[in-house]
Amino acid sequence: MTSPILSAKHISKYYGSGHTKVRAVNDVSLEIQPGELVLIMGPSGSGKTTLLSMLGGLLKASEGSIEIEGINITQLKEAALPNIRALKIGFIFQAFNLLEALTVEENILFPAQLRKHKANSAKQRADELIQQLKLEHRRFALPQTLSGGEKQRVAIARALINEPGLILADEPTGNLDSQTGQEVMMILHDIARDHGYAVVMVTHDPRVEDIADRIMWLEDGALHDRKLEAHQWTHDPVCGMRVDEWKADIKTEYKEKTYIFCSQGCKQRFEKNPVQYVSHSKRDESSR
Amino acid sequence: MFQWAWKSLTKQPGSLTASALGIAFAFILVIFFDAVWQGESEQVVAYPENIKPDIWVMQSGVGNMHMAMSFVWDWKADKIASMPGVKQVTPILYLNNVIVAGDTKMFAFIVGLLPGAQRAGPWSMSAGRQIENPGEVIIPDVLSELTGIGMGDQLRITDKNFTVVGLSSGTYSSANTVLFVPFKDLEDILSSSGTYSYLLVDADDGIDAKDLAVQIRNEVDKVNALTHAEFIKNDFALASQMGVEIILMMTTICSVLAALIVAFTAYSLVMRKRQEIAIIKALGVKNPLIFYALMLQTGLVTLYGFVIAVVFALFIIPYVPLLVPQLTLIVSMESLFQLGVIAFVVAISGALLPTHMVLRLDPATAFHV
Repeated sequence: MTSPILSAKHISKYYGSGHTKVRAVNDVSLEIQPGELVLIMGPSGSGKTTLLSMLGGLLKASEGSIEIEGINITQLKEAALPNIRALKIGFIFQAFNLLEALTVEENILFPAQLRKHKANSAKQRADELIQQLKLEHRRFALPQTLSGGEKQRVAIARALINEPGLILADEPTGNLDSQTGQEVMMILHDIARDHGYAVVMVTHDPRVEDIADRIMWLEDGALHDRKLEAHQWTHDPVCGMRVDEWKADIKTEYKEKTYIFCSQGCKQRFEKNPVQYVSHSKRDESSR
Repeated sequence: MFQWAWKSLTKQPGSLTASALGIAFAFILVIFFDAVWQGESEQVVAYPENIKPDIWVMQSGVGNMHMAMSFVWDWKADKIASMPGVKQVTPILYLNNVIVAGDTKMFAFIVGLLPGAQRAGPWSMSAGRQIENPGEVIIPDVLSELTGIGMGDQLRITDKNFTVVGLSSGTYSSANTVLFVPFKDLEDILSSSGTYSYLLVDADDGIDAKDLAVQIRNEVDKVNALTHAEFIKNDFALASQMGVEIILMMTTICSVLAALIVAFTAYSLVMRKRQEIAIIKALGVKNPLIFYALMLQTGLVTLYGFVIAVVFALFIIPYVPLLVPQLTLIVSMESLFQLGVIAFVVAISGALLPTHMVLRLDPATAFHV
């Protein structure tokens, strides 16, 4: 087992004191390995964003310790935290949070300015990300001219530019329609699986559950593992996302078998080259 | 970070220009009142400054012209004229009084000129001729324009009427306006037979005016003799106490107003960036870098506003007296430079508080943007 990218031990966050003391996060411990995609779910007000803020060094924990790549950020001085955020963590926000005056390329390169002596390699890395995230035609566009999906892809590229080990995403699909949201989920899934990034995602979106390696449930400030419910579900052969067989209406037939998809996008990808996906659909069969 | 500072500032040129215009307006106010102050300051001493003898001789205990009264016996003028090193002595009579021109009453310097004493007379005529006969007066052309009194019209000084025969230029100011009348007429008004008010003494070439002034003080009883520079300094100081100080106070008030406008503009500029600054902090940018970026933005907007104000000052203000002839405006490069330094200090000071507030922003708010 590799050493964890993120290790949080008994972290708590209190607001107020005495009778007005509120525990936003209560004695939470978790470890995230490289390449792991972990969801943090829970009802509104359960402390998800507070937890994410603490994990990202944006908010000081009242108790406990948080280590990122072996560095205990809870013991660092306030002035040292920006460096950790710039170099060790990539942030993805629900509202995209792009800098409106900068172009797509400049937004992606923005965190790279915080690394020293890396200008050329950063440009090269930005080119790769722009290509990988299919943003070539939008390279010099301003955020206001981008669609929601494009904005989030730019935000993902920005989060990856400094190649941090940890990506923290707060409701990354919250402002996107279902198809675009699914595309973004697949990108996050791929960067965890194919590139080894640890991705911690706060979300309400139940469609995301099946691409996650682990789901944590945060309620009343406390975190619990949540078991996946396998039966009565099938999987989209393209993205692997869990789909309710009874409710799904995006389907296609191939070699006398019915395949169900989470979106028209996945269906179209499947129909272009079914052979590529049929071999990956064993999970479907096992779940039936 | 500085790329963000520049681009976020210039992304909305309309908004940037509006901010700069607000600052420019404040600076224009300051430049305008400073120009009025400079203009009035010069105009208050316009008569002695333009006549410019080497030495002014007056009654002992008197050291200036503005609001002063001086009597020197006529034989003292003859004595000074006979002193070695004295080239020429030009006596004048002088009265501060209210003149009545039509329905207008105003305070004026009235200078009585001996026949042929153009040395002490108007230095520039825009119409008419010099005084040749009793009962004639030369008035400022601006006064003529303001009151409608022109050539051949009459005006009254104390109880005596005078006919306008000439219009002089450069002799008007709101604090004192200069009129020229025959010496004899003014002597009658003052009942000052055998006396002069001031003696304008010109020294021979190569004679030191300061030494000659000392010599006159020593050799002529009960007179004061000052070099032109000393006399102007005294006159300007007294005039400042009496009228120009009001303008200076207005200039100061406008400067404070300008400082507040600049500070408010800087405040709005910085506060508009709150959301993006929270994001930038979350992404790992340190406070000092954000501070410099915000200061750069404020400095650039202030510079933009300052340039607009200077362009306005250099190309528009000189034409204001064409519309408002009673105003004398002087825009000096020295004043503009001083204003530039003040603008920079005010801009930085104005941006300090909002920048400090923004730097204390919790980066976690980026999650709630």
